[in-house]
Amino acid sequence: MSRAEALDALAAPARSRARQWLSRLEGPQTMGRGPAFWVAMAAVVLAAAVYPLFSNDYTVGNAAYFLVWTFMAMGLGVVWGYCGALSFGQTAFFGLAGYAYGVITINIGSAYGLTWLALILSVGLGAAFALLIGYFMFYGRIKGVFIGIVTLSVTLVLETFMAQTAGPQWAIGTARLNGFNGMSGMPPLTVPWFGGDVVLYSGTALYYVLLAMVVIVYLGLRMLLNAPFGNVLVAIRENPERTEMLGYDIRLYQMLAFGLGGALAGLSGALYTAWGQYITPSSMGLTSAALPIVWVAVGGRRDITATLLGSVLVIAGFQALTIYGSQYALVVMGALLVFTVMVTPDGVVATLMQRLGRIFGKAGR
Amino acid sequence: MTQILQVSKLNKRFGGVTVARDIDFALDEGAMHCLIGPNGAGKSSFFRLLLGEHAPDSGTITFRGRDITPLRSFQRIREGISVKFQVPGIFKALSVRQNLQIAFQHHLHGASLTETVRRVLEFTSLTAEAATPAGVLSHGQQQWLEIGMAVGVEPRLLLLDEPTAGMSPDETRKTGEMLHDLNARGITILAVEHDMAFVQQIAHSVTVLHMGAIFAQGSIDQITAHPGVQEIYLGAADE
Amino acid sequence: MEFFTAIFSITYQFGDAFAFLVISCAGLAVIFGMMGVINLAHGEFIMCGAYVTAATARAGLALPIAILCGALAAAAIGMVLERTVMRHLYHRPMDSIIATWGISLIATQGVLILLGPTMQGVGTPLGSMALGDRSYSLYRLVLFAAAVGLLGGLYLLFYHTRFGVIARATIQRPAMARALGVDTRRVYGLTFGLGAGLAGLAGGLYAPTMTMVPTMGATFIVESFVTVVVGGADIFLGAAPAAAILAIIKASLTAWYGQLFGQIGLLVAVIVVIRIMPGGLSAVVKRWQR
Repeated sequence: MSRAEALDALAAPARSRARQWLSRLEGPQTMGRGPAFWVAMAAVVLAAAVYPLFSNDYTVGNAAYFLVWTFMAMGLGVVWGYCGALSFGQTAFFGLAGYAYGVITINIGSAYGLTWLALILSVGLGAAFALLIGYFMFYGRIKGVFIGIVTLSVTLVLETFMAQTAGPQWAIGTARLNGFNGMSGMPPLTVPWFGGDVVLYSGTALYYVLLAMVVIVYLGLRMLLNAPFGNVLVAIRENPERTEMLGYDIRLYQMLAFGLGGALAGLSGALYTAWGQYITPSSMGLTSAALPIVWVAVGGRRDITATLLGSVLVIAGFQALTIYGSQYALVVMGALLVFTVMVTPDGVVATLMQRLGRIFGKAGR
Repeated sequence: MTQILQVSKLNKRFGGVTVARDIDFALDEGAMHCLIGPNGAGKSSFFRLLLGEHAPDSGTITFRGRDITPLRSFQRIREGISVKFQVPGIFKALSVRQNLQIAFQHHLHGASLTETVRRVLEFTSLTAEAATPAGVLSHGQQQWLEIGMAVGVEPRLLLLDEPTAGMSPDETRKTGEMLHDLNARGITILAVEHDMAFVQQIAHSVTVLHMGAIFAQGSIDQITAHPGVQEIYLGAADE
Repeated sequence: MEFFTAIFSITYQFGDAFAFLVISCAGLAVIFGMMGVINLAHGEFIMCGAYVTAATARAGLALPIAILCGALAAAAIGMVLERTVMRHLYHRPMDSIIATWGISLIATQGVLILLGPTMQGVGTPLGSMALGDRSYSLYRLVLFAAAVGLLGGLYLLFYHTRFGVIARATIQRPAMARALGVDTRRVYGLTFGLGAGLAGLAGGLYAPTMTMVPTMGATFIVESFVTVVVGGADIFLGAAPAAAILAIIKASLTAWYGQLFGQIGLLVAVIVVIRIMPGGLSAVVKRWQR
């Protein structure tokens, strides 16, 4: 065997594994397959990529703001839509990671790309907290509405906790928590570069970074959901007892899915803080907690593509309405939620996608 | 012959109801055994105790020489017990192929998974329905799918709760053939069954449960001739 | 004497916490126990009761009658919502819960739009009494009495009236109740109305002690959720003892560490409880009874 062949033999399992993962971009757990679907997807991404050329920095910054939230929405899609555990408190992980990003960056600064380290640590904290809550919930065998109640209580108590942290005694290192008014003044994400760091203020540069992250997370989730792990999650949603009787420790799978949801909510939270350079306790309040439910319900929780597209659309609509005042936008969100539940329980976008899929033949499931 | 399953002094009460009373039970490797008894005799509870869905108040369950009493359900399944419930425990919204993949993927991967799924589809005569959502299959087909899910992992012991409930005579006969086929491959089978004709088709020996306790044990001829057994069945029929 | 005042102070705090937990969770517990639906608009029914109470009291009605008006208004709205929204979702319990959240959003923000960020409230009646060097609000004692009375009244309603028997029958065996000629839809409607009315009553009772803001319902949410979760499905076997136990936890933590730790203590209690007894207290009590 020549040296090249030996190397080839070593690389073969890795290549076949990579091929296997790529093949999972399509599968029974995700809508959309075949060239038509991927061409359409590429067109959407391309349109999103060239859009800043035809717009100004401020508007693009707002679009970046929509993208910030999509990670939390996709995480809730995994936890609720795929795993069947309706969490009302994703904002707890969002807020925790958002605050963590602020505390860490204020303490360690933004040199040498340390803001990215802070981002990773914050996401890790969100995931760890979700795993802890998930451990108590799923190993305690609670299900159904009780998951919603516990998670909602967690986020509301966190809100109360953060709201009373006014005063100098509530500081972590040099970072003051500032109670009800929230934290501000933390640095945005910064990319170290030759001849000066590139600071990702809310604008076009940040928009591109976020767009890339959305695409990566979306494709990654597609692969994960069509992998054996995703199969088991769906099986648990459909029939948990039976899934256990096939030899799966369903508590572990639920906890891991919940941890993933927490990590993604945390990613949104840390990016939110980096985007606007502030975070307040109300980001964990009752109203904030309702919004992810609205996006995911309206989009369609049982398909990650529908979740993503629906969330972007609903968030954009919400932003457009807040021109008239956020209370009007929230009334519309509430009405949209009631409408969705009563008329299209599978989600507006998912239902539309299914119709389109049927019309175009093979694009559907 | 070695014993694959030994149950000793198994007791379980729910409030005032005793569902298992000092059950001593053993199953030989390779046996095809039926569990019969009137309604409420404790057959399903016995299964649930074997599967770890209920924890016994006292007693032990030994499977292939290992005490599995403290193990959780999923761990017992991994030891080599497999189950098919009375109400088809299939994932109705998922395709037949996906049902089988979920059942097997934790033992098998890649090509061997694909191959096993193909074999089981053939065995259960569901090859043509592979892409169909399991919920739209006929009742008999759903039962077969679940048998397929239970055997694809090559268990040592297969528990069947009324495998022919609601089946047509033709489907029942075919199910019997399937079970003989599985038994011939070395899978020990323990089934709860009402249909005595079916019991005669498949079982080597029979255990009668009554009020949570073992009432009689023996060959089918011994059991059908047993006056006490007729009595409890007739007594139950009077109710 | 000092010993006596200390005892009184602790009892007072406990009674205050107990009353708050019982009164705030009653409506939620009735709807959940009877229909399996967690009403996320619970806080908004409370807000509705409080607003109506404050408005009618300032218009000149005596406070008890104003409170009654608040409860009735919430009950009426509850029954209308049951008929228009909830009724179509009973076969999808999780969806019905989400729908109540939508209603909650609409209610909070709608009130904000219509009535502004705050409304003039009513003062706390009855004044206070002094004992030792501390003073105690007499109205809080009334609230404790109201909580006890509420539990007694609900017990009588569900165990000693025709409605109660029919309601319990419907909840346990809906198909059977229908077969016996019970109009189960009406029972669900009345139960939802009762739950909403009890929430309104909670709002009315606490209206004199709170600031009237559209989000005031959120103040009650955590406490009432926690009580219902710890209690489990049965309000008498579960929620009442749960309220007592949680009141002890909350009162002692609040006394020593402040409001926030009272709430955190409740949350930790609920997580521990669901870890060790998944069906809540009522499941444990039921098992023990057998």
